[in-house]
Amino acid sequence: MRTLGILFYTVILTLIGLGLIFLALGLSFEGFQTFSTAYVNTIFTYLETNIYARITIFLAGLLLILLTVSFAQLIIGRFQREKNIAFNTASGEVTIALSAIEDLIRRLVNIIPEIKELRPDVRVTKKGSLIVDLRVVLKSEANLPELTMRLQDITRAKIQDVLGIEEQIIIKIHVAKIISDEEKDRRRKETEGEHSAIPFGRYSKM
Amino acid sequence: MQSDESRTDIGLIRIHDKVISSISSLAATEIEGVKGIRRGYRTGFISILDKKGISAIKVIKDKNGEITVQIPLIIKYGYNIPEVAARVQENVRNNLEKMAGLIVKDINISVQGIEKD
Repeated sequence: MRTLGILFYTVILTLIGLGLIFLALGLSFEGFQTFSTAYVNTIFTYLETNIYARITIFLAGLLLILLTVSFAQLIIGRFQREKNIAFNTASGEVTIALSAIEDLIRRLVNIIPEIKELRPDVRVTKKGSLIVDLRVVLKSEANLPELTMRLQDITRAKIQDVLGIEEQIIIKIHVAKIISDEEKDRRRKETEGEHSAIPFGRYSKM
Repeated sequence: MQSDESRTDIGLIRIHDKVISSISSLAATEIEGVKGIRRGYRTGFISILDKKGISAIKVIKDKNGEITVQIPLIIKYGYNIPEVAARVQENVRNNLEKMAGLIVKDINISVQGIEKD
């Protein structure tokens, strides 16, 4: 089905490309111009006079959109399904989507107060190791080595605790931004100022 | 839509796949730690064209009459996923065997997300 989807997109895009190329060529050369103009005119005249032709084109367009959306859903769904880790139990297979692990890590913001924002990206290597890339925005100028080490330990412990996996977990941290206290105060004042300002407040009644 | 059928002395009993899907859904959600069942990617236009898309739980029946159920789950934050998944598998198996008298081959769990209450 995935191959069919890719084939569908390839054919449609090639046809559009060919159409544009022929249109450009037809308008560039004088020999083709008369032919192409007359040909286009004939098509449009036919469409103007024949309502069934217009309905057919309308329905074809609608069908094309429906097919495109459906194929896109299938392909995206297939890609999403591939991104997971799996293990077997006596009753069957259990797969855990990597996005679920990302959800789990995102919740750690509430545990560590120094973290303002946390964006995880979880990948699995061919060897089976779990790689967690964390992009963090910190609230204050805390001790970075201590904080990042704590974050790594907490993340690793949480993943092992909730998923119960024995595989190697590699946690990479990228500190993207540190919001200082001054900046926080300035932002707070700005927001307070915006809230307290009355619209047209400086215009007094006559 | 497929259905599981068995013959008795006075006629035929058919169990629709939707019924198996409903039993599985109810049995899964009554386990502590399960937030709910996630709708699959077969939504939108596909679900209009294909009635199977309405339920995210897939029921597959093999030649021997054994069924495999695939359940996409959302787990509550703070619960151990393998433990919850194992309890769901056991509860779904017990309920399907008890209520519909089916032979369950596999119950495949797919954890799609983690959410808070």
